[in-house]
Amino acid sequence: MKFALYSTIRKLKVNCKETFHIFLNELKVVSHDRGVVVIFILAVLAYPLLYNVVYKQETLSKLPVAVVDNAHCHASTELIRNLNATPELNVYSVYTSLSEAREAFARQKVHGVIYIPSDYSKNINTGQKATLSVYCDMSSFLYYRTVLQGANHVVLDQNKDIQIKRLSEQGITGEAAQIIAEPVPYNDVVLFNETGGYASFLVPAVLILILYQTLFFGITILAGTAREENRFHVLVSISEHKGKTLRVVLGKSGAYFIIYLAWSIYVLKVIPMLFQLPHIGNSIDLIGLMIPFLMASIFFAMTISVFLPNRETGMLIFGIFSLILLFLGGVSWPLSNMPGFWKAFGWIFPSTHGIQGYIKINTLGADIHTIAKEYHTLWLQTLLYLLLCVGAYHWQIKKSLTKARLRRIEAHRRESATEKHPKEPNNTTDYKSES
Amino acid sequence: MFHKKQISPFGATLRRELARMKSRPMYFILTVGIMSFCIMFFISLFNEGQLQKMPIGIVDHDNTKISRQFVRNLDATQQAKVVMKPGSYQEARTEMQKGNIYAFVEIESGFADKLQSSRRPPLTFYINDAYLTAGSLLLKDITAMSLLTSGGVQQQTLRAKGVDESLISGIIQPVAVDAHLIGNPWSNYSYYFLNVFFPGVLEFVILMTTVFVIGIEMKEKTSRKWLRAANNNFLTALLGKLLPYTAIFIVWGFVCSIILYGFLYHPAQDCIFRMLVATVLYVIACQCVGVLIIGILPVLRDSVSIVMIFGMFGFTFTGFTFPIEQMNYPVRIFSEMYPIRHFFIIYTDQVVHGVDFSYSALYYFILLAYTLLPFLIFFRLKKAAIYQNYPIK
Repeated sequence: MKFALYSTIRKLKVNCKETFHIFLNELKVVSHDRGVVVIFILAVLAYPLLYNVVYKQETLSKLPVAVVDNAHCHASTELIRNLNATPELNVYSVYTSLSEAREAFARQKVHGVIYIPSDYSKNINTGQKATLSVYCDMSSFLYYRTVLQGANHVVLDQNKDIQIKRLSEQGITGEAAQIIAEPVPYNDVVLFNETGGYASFLVPAVLILILYQTLFFGITILAGTAREENRFHVLVSISEHKGKTLRVVLGKSGAYFIIYLAWSIYVLKVIPMLFQLPHIGNSIDLIGLMIPFLMASIFFAMTISVFLPNRETGMLIFGIFSLILLFLGGVSWPLSNMPGFWKAFGWIFPSTHGIQGYIKINTLGADIHTIAKEYHTLWLQTLLYLLLCVGAYHWQIKKSLTKARLRRIEAHRRESATEKHPKEPNNTTDYKSES
Repeated sequence: MFHKKQISPFGATLRRELARMKSRPMYFILTVGIMSFCIMFFISLFNEGQLQKMPIGIVDHDNTKISRQFVRNLDATQQAKVVMKPGSYQEARTEMQKGNIYAFVEIESGFADKLQSSRRPPLTFYINDAYLTAGSLLLKDITAMSLLTSGGVQQQTLRAKGVDESLISGIIQPVAVDAHLIGNPWSNYSYYFLNVFFPGVLEFVILMTTVFVIGIEMKEKTSRKWLRAANNNFLTALLGKLLPYTAIFIVWGFVCSIILYGFLYHPAQDCIFRMLVATVLYVIACQCVGVLIIGILPVLRDSVSIVMIFGMFGFTFTGFTFPIEQMNYPVRIFSEMYPIRHFFIIYTDQVVHGVDFSYSALYYFILLAYTLLPFLIFFRLKKAAIYQNYPIK
């Protein structure tokens, strides 16, 4: 009994030692491969900085618009002044005809045209409803949103004043006028990403994808190189029994995990703080999410990498997936409106749950219980992809062993064949006993 | 009777390349697989065109006929769909954090009473702009809805006060904004995204393919055979190698145009021919950038990494999500390096704005000028092909 326990402990100790050896060796392999260093270190370091520099401006400001003033009155001059005073718009020029404005629009000097019709002042003065036409450039939805938002702000403000004036003309003043002007005062409260910033909305998803894709490409490069250099990694081909596969998988994944856990803190916590992106999440919850996310991502990449024959195969085939995965993450296009098939397809990738989980913790301030769905899915994926990964590696190890054995038998046969001709019977017995 | 016709160096290179294309599945994946997948993916993803019926919640503390009517009206709007009625603000906020709803409205208790006795009950909307697309659309929708609600109340009150009917609409809304969306009247996301994603993916795939087909010759040390087939003329070698891909990707460009303007009826204002010409120039320009990259770094794996980083930023630097002129100055210069940036300007001019050819002539010339790029590294790449003096791994 005591002996059995002792031997188990010793076995475990040996196992741990070997796993640790594989772990250290993998770190060495990573640090000696220029291509992998570029991806694991340089890309992860630089990519978040680059993206933040590019999207530094959160919203559009002082967008140039043209105004066509056909009314030429006090009210229209004031309107133009107010438009120019908004943070969104900058009145590039005031034209007298629509065709002049169209020319500026066609030259892309302005991204919106605000047309004040000739009956504007008449309608304002006689208490009628006046109409303002706004032409928006649809080449970017941000243009359209900004132009319309700027125009609406000015018009709504102005409407309140005109309403009060018109009501007093009807003999309605004070409290009663207020009630009619705004019977239901509504306020819109933006709970998260309060400024409606573009970077605050997109960059968090990109940050998760940077971690995910660099990890994926790094692992596929390592696997491809191992395949190119010898039929299978040295550490694997010398082993024979089943337990070894798990050790190889754990040792290797451990190396990637350690590197990326450190990176997670930089990419997901330091970068948002540095660039004033939302970061209201709890760090402990964030790390809690990152552990299954990184593990699932690593095992997933290792499983796929078994099927990629060359060093660059992964990047050639899955390069465009950076874009696909961003959409599957359900940020630009909400998950609620995604076709069922693509939602199911997106479920396969740990990045989808990583993006959702991270945004919910980081931007929405959710805790780990609130994002239980993502958290549990990632653990489920960790288990699933670990099993698949071990299975795939085991299959590869067996294959390499079979190949090695076949080669040995082949060599043996060839040698015994050559030996038959010189007829030296002494040596053949030696080989027989060996095999 | 016939002498066996001597194959020209160009023909020999072309034949050699066609044979290589059949040798590995990677060629098929790059030229056909990725484009087909992406086209299917994006078409079906944006199938709806507009975001409709996004989930929202209502916290109804009032629960009267009027508040329930309000909920029904909200549910009837195009973009919102009331999927839950959380009991409290806190509960609704948690649901929002879970991502189950993108917005919620809180109706305070006694809302109907206050409304009827003119005590101006406030209505509060809570929006989640972490999902900016959903958030901003819902805000627009709910705001319009509530303006309509108060408009109804205003009309009733004014009539009761005996205000002249002809003046009522002028009091409720003294100035109305009439929006005209040029080139995409329904603010359709499918029009908006697909017209940029198709050429964007095409650029990425062309860069990858160009770098791969040249780089693999260096990696496998077959580049001398490639040169020999072209009778040691490097220009012939390059043209013979890249021509099959030029043809394939131009066909892809045309297929995209046919899908967009033919099957999905994206509004194109009589400019199909000009867009097709732009597509041809665009494909060649992308190939030239690919040759430039592999010429600067004649190592397959490094060039593939560069294309990864360079190509992904292409979508950002198109300037269709976040306009380029609002970015920093150095960023703007960087965006000029991308063929897609110029193609996008042509597309904006011709398809979105529907202006005359002369407005975008400059950008056609810029796309044409990309053909000069390979000459910058012509001799460097030739040397690399002859001496194979770069590391292969």
